Formats: sequence, structure tokens, C-alpha cells
Amino acid sequence: MTLMMLHNLLPLLIVAFGIVLSLLLIAWHRSQKSILIFTLLIFVCALLASISLSINMNESVQVTVLLKVDGYGNFAVILVLLASMAVSLLSSRWLTNSLEVHDEYFVLIQLVVLGAGILVMSDHFAALFLGFELLSIALVGLVGYGKNCQFSVETSFKYLILSASASSFMLLGIAFIYSQTGSLSFVPVNINSDYGFFYQTGMLLFLVGIAFKLSLAPFHFWTPDVYQGSPVPITLLLASVSKVAMFIVLMKYWFSQSYIFSEHNGSEKMLLIINVLAITSMLVGNALALKQQNIKRLLAYSSIAHIGYLLIVLLIVSPQSIELAWQGALFYLSAYVLATVSIFTALVLTQAKNDSAMMQVKDWQGLFWHHRPLALLIIFAVLSLAGIPLTMGFIGKFYLLNIAVQAQQWWLIGVLIIGSGIGLVYYLNIIFIVFHTGQKTNSDSKEQILPLPALKFMQKLTVITLIFMGVFLGLLPDTLSELFAVK
Amino acid sequence: MSITFVMCSLLIAGGLAWFAEGVKANSARYVALLLVLIVSAYFVFALIMTNSSADYNQLHLLVRVAWINSFNIEYALAIDYLSIVLVSLTLFLSLICILVSWHEIKEKVGFYYFNLLASIAGIIGVFTAVDMFLFFFFWEVMLLPMTALIAIWGHENKHFAAIKFFIFTQVSSLLMLVAIIAMAAVHFKQTGQLSFFYQDWLTLDLPLSLAQYLMLGFFIAFAVKLPSVPVHSWLPDAHTQAPTAGSVLLAGVLLKTGAYGLIRFVLQLFPEASLNFAPFAATLGVVSILYGAKMAFAQQDFKRLVAYSSISHMGFVMLALFSFNGVAYQGAILTLVAHGLSSAALFSLAGMIYSRIHSRNLMNMGGFWQGAPRMGGFALVFAAAAFGLPGLANFVAEFLSLVGAYQVYPLLTIFAALGLIGSAIYGMVLFQNSFQGDFKGSLQASLPAPKKSVFKDLSRRELLVCSALVSLLIVIGFYPNLILIFFQTADIALVNNNLVGAVQ
Repeated sequence: MTLMMLHNLLPLLIVAFGIVLSLLLIAWHRSQKSILIFTLLIFVCALLASISLSINMNESVQVTVLLKVDGYGNFAVILVLLASMAVSLLSSRWLTNSLEVHDEYFVLIQLVVLGAGILVMSDHFAALFLGFELLSIALVGLVGYGKNCQFSVETSFKYLILSASASSFMLLGIAFIYSQTGSLSFVPVNINSDYGFFYQTGMLLFLVGIAFKLSLAPFHFWTPDVYQGSPVPITLLLASVSKVAMFIVLMKYWFSQSYIFSEHNGSEKMLLIINVLAITSMLVGNALALKQQNIKRLLAYSSIAHIGYLLIVLLIVSPQSIELAWQGALFYLSAYVLATVSIFTALVLTQAKNDSAMMQVKDWQGLFWHHRPLALLIIFAVLSLAGIPLTMGFIGKFYLLNIAVQAQQWWLIGVLIIGSGIGLVYYLNIIFIVFHTGQKTNSDSKEQILPLPALKFMQKLTVITLIFMGVFLGLLPDTLSELFAVK
Repeated sequence: MSITFVMCSLLIAGGLAWFAEGVKANSARYVALLLVLIVSAYFVFALIMTNSSADYNQLHLLVRVAWINSFNIEYALAIDYLSIVLVSLTLFLSLICILVSWHEIKEKVGFYYFNLLASIAGIIGVFTAVDMFLFFFFWEVMLLPMTALIAIWGHENKHFAAIKFFIFTQVSSLLMLVAIIAMAAVHFKQTGQLSFFYQDWLTLDLPLSLAQYLMLGFFIAFAVKLPSVPVHSWLPDAHTQAPTAGSVLLAGVLLKTGAYGLIRFVLQLFPEASLNFAPFAATLGVVSILYGAKMAFAQQDFKRLVAYSSISHMGFVMLALFSFNGVAYQGAILTLVAHGLSSAALFSLAGMIYSRIHSRNLMNMGGFWQGAPRMGGFALVFAAAAFGLPGLANFVAEFLSLVGAYQVYPLLTIFAALGLIGSAIYGMVLFQNSFQGDFKGSLQASLPAPKKSVFKDLSRRELLVCSALVSLLIVIGFYPNLILIFFQTADIALVNNNLVGAVQ
């Protein structure tokens, strides 16, 4: 462990050290405000460290056998940190509604971030499993955090059991792979040897574990329930941090296998499996979202479709396209995270009562005419998810189509177009409801709907910043892609 | 001349109109009208100033700067006579749009004008972009405000119509995006550099097997926009549900973007593949002509009738373009302009009638001539224009198209000519049902039948709209060279070159 390695690991070290300090802080002074500020402080420090790292990053640095710090992973850490900051800020609003002091909540968020950081840096199955479990176990606690919510027990049990079974599948897969290669490193030592059936089975089981976490169809059944039952900020955490980290580690593993580029028979099978996963996810996710009225469930299904689109980057056929695949994936993930953060911010700010689980799309009816910034935020986020120009989502989709055309995956392109077409129905529906003119109709509740309180200055500022960022990066994507371009 | 300036000022004008409405009610329309007038004046002035120095027979590059470096995408605009004619048509119709929405729009007025002007800015971008990514960008940008126009200010079934409109265009344009990316990838393979620049693509040497598929990607997107049978079904719904100005804009200009795309991209980038595809496309055109005419005849809804007639008229464009003939090409261009004017006129008329009786149903109309003879006179001229009466622009346009196409596809052209009879029938049905016969105000039981005096004749503003359209229709009808003169040399050569190049 040299100083150089420590330097490269700085963001993770800051978060890890921060967790210990947070525990001390809780022991010394229990206050929700101080722990929130402290958490944000840690994230900001880590963010600064990783930004300075990514500016000065020239080549990837191997930190022990476990971790490997490179530009892509570093960018993913930045993304994770930004999303977690949004989560913490949104949480503070949600947590004010109950009387208890919620210190441990923020510690759990920090643990999730640490897990995600380890995942995106990992270069070894041991590191991967460590990160995976750190992330999952902390998330189980968070998912069921709303004790008074009617769904919390169901949600956390579902998440606990399914994520435990996912990790056991993954462990078995890792064991199979180890039995063939004799190494736990992502890059096998003896590359040329011809691995047999067990290696492929191992890869498949490993994929299943990751697919559970990414909620790819047909492993998606937990997603809508868990999204609906969790507190809003935690749903955001699941949708952004967890998905980003899992996808990045999948890419790291996948691209370090020269196996998939070989003419070997087995590689075709693996590509076929990814193909099937992508196609089913695109279709199932979009089709199920079609009739969904509950906002959180709708976002859950749309996330299934989005990760399905994103799987396209794994299907490149030549090692030369790896760079483009990374850029495409990182851009798409950034667009997705920004859109998700935007839409969840809007969800928190428009939430009248404390039951986000029941938030319907029609609660946003006519928002454009009363709360313009919030409505614009929703509209741009939805347009970005739908992949319409002016937004980042379009550039992301443009990257994906570029990759798919180069890999000549015409079937996938066809399904992507069909999926986007289906997706437009429910995305446009949201936008039309936001634009709805005339009287607000509310048939099922007799109570008078309270008008939303006007936004505070800081909230307004956040909303406008999010809108601006989305449009700016959608029009000038170079500013972002230069960050992770290979120098 | 700066098209960028025109687009930006249209956008800013929209923003100002929105803002003005917030300051003082009913001011948005004045702001919008004034600023669009200024922009149009600038456009005409700049055109005259540069006309002597620039040759618009070929594409004349106006601006080319780097935009997205990672894909070598540029912000590049260029114009030639085709773009100039279509941009002029767009600006003219945008004035008509503002005038016809004068009293019609009562809710969210400021935002309405913003959408209208933003959509027009996008359309102008489509007609001038020569970087294909930029073209796609504008292609979508014009779509968003247009959808908002339908979805917010439309009639009873507006959400369905807007979603259908958006999905048809979006899915087909994704096919085009894939084709665009594939073209860029081919460019990368042949020259080692990605390029989305139109003129770079013209130099590419495409194998026919690949060109066929790429051409199809572009063709489908433009055929949906045109629209051609069998991908036309969004059009009647969108037209019927849109507010008057939305219909005017849709029929007048938006459909022309499809034709423009066919001319500029399908025919010129893939000459050989288009030639192989031509019999099929021409057949589609003829089917559109006959089917549109038949369906128009069967409609009860004034706007739906005009919408189907648009399908019929745009069939002539398809037929003419894919017959690769100089005369037919001129006919196609003239059809674009003539149909832009005549359909805009008919939709404006529908809006004027709707504002009086609150119905679009032909069964509720009749005998309007008694109360509104001036309106009746104009309606007769517009209907006559739609069925191609000599002396009006549409006649020359369709005549040229048919004469040109006959040399290549005699049998198909004979069938297409039947469409002219069809158009005369539905044109007369339209006119008879609404203006002749006994006076019928409204059949709805809840509303008392309005007296004849209630059905007022044209107001001064409406008179301005109608007479502007009529005079242009007549001027072009008697002196088509006004437009044709631009397309006599270069483009015929281009078409012929394509033909020769393809045959060799």
C-alpha cells in the first residue's frame, strides 16, 4: 500500500472514516440537523477528492489486488455521491414529519455509499461481494425505515429475502468460476485456456445475482413493491445509487473478460443471454408501466425498461468499442440519475400528506398552471426518460443507438424503438396531466385538496438548478463527456 | 443572411408574447403578430440583399460551427431555393395562424403563442439544417410544441389525438435516427471519421444492398409525416382535434417537412435505391390519392374531410417525386405551396364556422350563404382550389405532376387522375352542405337554433386572412413561374443526373 494508492482511494477513505466519526457524533450529540450537515460535509469532501482525482487521472491504478481505480469508476463515484447528496437533502424533509431523532438513518446512507464506492472500484470478486453486501444490508434497513407506513414490513422482507437469494446465487456462480480459473480476480490469470461448462454456468449464476439487483426481467418482481413501499428518498437511493453501482461493476467484470470477444462457442451463448435479458426487460418494463397510475410503481417499471436499454452496451463485438461503450453507459446513467433525482424531488415537494406510497399521477393535474418550476422539472425529467431531444436522455439514447449500430444488433434496435414507442404513451400521459387545464377533478376523496404551499427560496433554487443542468447537458453534452473521455 | 437569427427571434418573440400576456391581458397576440411581421420582413429583406451575390440553385452554406465534438456533430445551416420557398410559406402561414387564433384562444393565451412560435422556429430549422443530427434535433423540437398545441387547446378528444400524433412521428423518426447513425458509421468506415454533414454524405459510395435499408429508414419517417397510406391514420385525428391554428400549421407546413425530406434526403442521398423503390412509392402515392379522396367524401366532420383531402393531395407529391421527371418535380414543388395555401384556407374557414356555431359537423351546417355571402364566396374559391379549378394554384400543380408522371407511369397516372374527379365531388359536398340549402344553425337540442342574423359574415380580420390566401392562390394560379422559375435549371439537372447516375 503506497501513498499513491491511498491517494487514489481517498474518496472511499473519506466516506469510511466519516462513518466512524458519525457514530462518534451520535454518541456525543443526538441531533438530526447536525448529523445531516455532517453527512453532507462528508459527501462534499469525498466529491471534491474524486473530482480532483478524475482531473488528474492519467491511467488506472491497481490498489492491492482487490480494487482498481480508473477514470470510469471515479466518474461513477462522483455520480453516486451526487445522488446520495440529493437523497440526504430529500430525507431531511421527509424525516421532519415524525418526532424521533433519526441519526442511524444517515449512517445507513453513508454505508450504502461506501458499498457502492467499493463496487464501482472493485477488480476482484472478494471486493465485489464486500461492496454488494454492504450496499444490500444497509438498504434493507433503509427500505423498511418508515415504521408507520403500512407497506414497510412487506417491503423490507421482500427486499431482504430476494437480495439474500440473489447474493447466494452470485456466490455460487463465483465459486463455479473460481473452480475453473483458480483465481478470484476479474481478469483470469491464464486467459487462453478453454473454460468449460462450469465456467459458463458460473457466469450465468453471477449474472442472475446482478440481474436481481438491476431488476432486469424476469428478475424484476420485487421492484414495484419495494419502490412503492419504501420512503421516497430511499426509492431514489435504490433507483440511482444501487443501479449505477451494480451496472458499473457488471461492465467492469464483463469487459475484463477477453472471453466474450473470442470466437469461442460459449461467448455467443452469453451474448444471447444478455440479448434476451435486454429484450424482455425493454418490453416487460414498458408494457407493465402502461396502465400504471401510481407514480412510484410507474417509475419502477420504467427503470426496468431503462436498464434493459442500457444492456445494449454489453453487446459490443470488438475490444475497440469498449471505450465508446463506457462513455455511452456513463452518459446514459448520468442522464438517468439526473432525471430520477428530478422526478423524485418533484415527488417529495408535491407530496401533500405523508403517504408517498399512494401518490397518483393525477395528483399532478394542472401543476403547470400553479407551480411552474416544479412542473417544468417534471416535464424535463419525463422527456429525458422518454429520450426526446433538448434533454440528456436523448443524447444517452443516441450513444446507445451508436453502439448498437456498430455492433449491428438490428433486432435489439427494433425492440428499443418499439419499447420507446410504448413508453411514450405513459410518459406523455404524465406530461398531459401536468398540463391539464380546467377544474381539478378528484372523485375518490371527499376532502378538499389543500393547495401546495409555495416553494421556499432554497427549494426553488434547487429545482431551477436541476432543470438548468438537464437542458444544458442535453444541448452541450461535451461538457460532461469530456470528464470521462480517455485522455 | 442569418437563419439562426430568424429562429432565435421567433423563440424570443414567443417568450415575449408569453411574458406580455402576464403583464396585460390580450397583449400576447399583438406582440406575436408584430414580431413575426418584423422577422418576416427581415427574412425578405435579407433575401433580396443577398440574392445578387449568392447562388441558391445549389445549397448555400450559411453557418457551420462545431457543436458536439465527441461525435463530430456540427451546427450547420444552408439554404437553396427549395428551403427559401418553404421557409417563406412557413412565415406567411405563421401570420395566418396568429390571425386565426385571435379570438379562438381564450385560455392560457401567452403560453399558446409561445408554443406556436417555437414550433415555427423548429420547422424553419428543419428546412435549413444540413447536419443530419441537427436536422433530427429540429425534427423533434418542432414536434413538442405542436403536440402541446393539440393536447392543451384541442377539442374534446385531444389527448388521444396528441399521443397518437406524437407516437407515430416519434417511432418513425427513431427509424430515421438509426439510419442517420448507420450513415455516419459508413462514413467512418470509408473515411476514418464520423460525419453527420449532409454534403459529406453526398460523396459517399454506398453499396446498393445497404442503401436500400437506409433509404427505407428515411422513407418511413417522411412517409409518416407526408402522410402516405398506410401510415396516415394519425392525421385525421390530429387535424380534427387541433385548434384552428394547429390544423393550419399541420396541413400547411408540417406535412411539407415530409415532402422536403423526401426531396432533400431520400432522393439525393440514395438515388439508386430510390429508383428501385420508385414503383412501390408511386403506387403508394396513387393509393393515397384515391383512398384520401374516397374517405374525404364519406366524412361528416368538416375538418376531418379536409384532413383526408390532404392525404389525397400529398399523394400527388409522392407520385410526382418518385417519377424522376423534371416536369413532375416542378409539379411536386408547386403542389407543396398550393396545398399549403388551400388547406390552410379551408382549415381557417372551418375555424371561422366553428367559432359561430360551435360544431364541425356538416349535418349541423347549411344555408350559411344567406347570412354570410362573403364567407360563402371565399369558401367557394377555397373549395374550387382544393379540387383544382384552372386559374388557381392547385390546378397548375396537379396538372404538372400528372403530365410529368404520365411519361413514366402511364397506368398509375390514369388512376391518379381519377382522384381529381373525387376531389371535385368532396369539394362540392363540402360547399353544398355548409353554404347551400336551408339555413341550419345547430341541430343540438340544448341550443336554440340561432337566427340567421347570428351567423355573422366575415369580420375585418377574417377578411384579411381569406383575401390574402385567395390572392396568393390566384397569383400563383395565373403566374406559376413566380415559383417555378427557381426550379427550372439546377434541380432538373439534379434529378436527371440522379436518374442517369442510377441507370449507369
